Amino acid sequence: MRGGLAARTLLRRQPALLLGVVLAALMLYVAALPGTLTVHSPTAVDVNAALQPPSVAHLFGTDDTGRDLYARVLYGARITLGIVAGSLALAAVAGGALGLLAGFFGRVSDMAASRLVDVALSFPPIFLGVVITGILGPGVRNLVLAMAIVYAPVFFRIARAGAIAEGARTYIEAARALGLGEWTILRRHVARNVWPLIFLQYMILFPLALQIEAALGFLGLGVQPPTPDWGSILAQAKDLLLTAPWMSIFPGAFILIAAAAVILIGRSLQPILDAPG
Amino acid sequence: MQAYVARRLFGSLLTAWLASIVVFLLVHAVPGDVVGQMLGQAGDATAEQVLRGFFGLDRPLYRQYLAWLGDALTGNLGMSWTQGLPVTGIVLQAFAVTLELGLVTLVLATLVGVPLGMAAGINEGRWIDHVVQGINLFGLSAPVFWVGLMLLIGASWAFGWSPPLLFQSPLAAPADNLGIMILPVLSLGLLQACAYAQFVRQLVVAALREPYVTTAEAKGLAMRRILFKHILRNILIPLVTFMGLILIQILGGVVVTETLFALPGLGRLLVTAIAQRDYPVVQGGLLLIVVVALGVNLTVDLLYHAIDPRLRR
Repeated sequence: MRGGLAARTLLRRQPALLLGVVLAALMLYVAALPGTLTVHSPTAVDVNAALQPPSVAHLFGTDDTGRDLYARVLYGARITLGIVAGSLALAAVAGGALGLLAGFFGRVSDMAASRLVDVALSFPPIFLGVVITGILGPGVRNLVLAMAIVYAPVFFRIARAGAIAEGARTYIEAARALGLGEWTILRRHVARNVWPLIFLQYMILFPLALQIEAALGFLGLGVQPPTPDWGSILAQAKDLLLTAPWMSIFPGAFILIAAAAVILIGRSLQPILDAPG
Repeated sequence: MQAYVARRLFGSLLTAWLASIVVFLLVHAVPGDVVGQMLGQAGDATAEQVLRGFFGLDRPLYRQYLAWLGDALTGNLGMSWTQGLPVTGIVLQAFAVTLELGLVTLVLATLVGVPLGMAAGINEGRWIDHVVQGINLFGLSAPVFWVGLMLLIGASWAFGWSPPLLFQSPLAAPADNLGIMILPVLSLGLLQACAYAQFVRQLVVAALREPYVTTAEAKGLAMRRILFKHILRNILIPLVTFMGLILIQILGGVVVTETLFALPGLGRLLVTAIAQRDYPVVQGGLLLIVVVALGVNLTVDLLYHAIDPRLRR
């Protein structure tokens, strides 16, 4: 009960957080149940209705094969946001776990892993993304893998720094003095205190990863048509930019809204999650 | 100071060397190579062997790497498999375009972002602060290539103008170059200006709470004087660091921007080269980008030490 009340007061005091939560809820709804918002199929081709501007029948217009763009953008939410959320989760689990181990146990393995992470982070993310997806070939699975590889080093660094800071605290010494095993300390104390940092990093990276996912789709290296994905719809729209500007406007606007929602929430939560204790 | 420089230099070189291994291995993990592509499905075994020998693909991987690294250190990145020209020339020519785009963007972002951020910081909580924060949210959320698409639509709709498609160097044809560069620079620069403004705003807000500002105010100094004489000097150091970050951000943004605006820069070169499986170009381009990124980071770190008197010994 108290938690719910605190959350409500927080939302009232922070309009930015409220806006973020509303937008995020909207996006989640679209991603979960796109079928409740449109009668059109995202992949049904209708050549007679090709390149129609937005109208009551087709809210966002149609593309060059007559597919309903409103349906494509709505159904695309699940694909695009799913890929971003999934690949970041993969990166957070893999990078976070390795970072915890490296930071807590340290020594040689830490030095080697940290060096490797330095090297990975010396590549601008999009370049790495382009080369890895280029090598693996297009497709959803490879895209998720590529993005997880790009972002795992970031989580590694955060988790490692957190584990080092926590490991040096007095209560850890106290736990050792009580005879707790190293693994128990890592699991029960260190990991628990590092987890908010990883979560915060997830929020910070989400809009960036969304941009990269869209960029790779735009370059033709991500999700392939006819699967609706915001980035690849924009790739298709690029060639019809001046004939059918609506094809460019709407998918991009959805990327913008989704990213803004996460940024608004992340900014409001940052002071809370960063606070010690 | 000297020990610090030596240590950072060594660290960067080590990272660059390890990165060269990663670059090489990444590219050699590509399924299928140029020979397979040239011969297609029905290539016969003898021709395949001859071609593999010609491209040096029949040697063990570590020998291929050592040969490549040795050549790279003397400035020879091999020959492009699709263009038949030296990779070094191709990559440097593309980099010149990227560098122009990057530097002009950096200047634009600084000129727009820093004053905006200062204005927002001094007026914390007032309308101008809210406007800047709003713009900033847009800048962080909008994909750079989408902003580019919107600018193209806008330019065509408002002025009936589209940028020329054929790239001209700024030295040979400055006017044409400007026409080609203006939209890419705007789309990249406006987004980065937003990031700048937010960063400067936080710095100014934090600086205004410092005791030295209170002292200056107590002395009766005018706000303008405090701002330029005291605050600006103090935020200069984090600002330099941030400039490096922004430059690397911009370098990342060039991949899609160059592809969208058909600029023959390093980003587009890499995208085409990977599609054509032109290993030497991919390797060379990627290596150059890493070296540039490491160089920017190193320069920023050294500058940071050079301008902060507290770190001088």
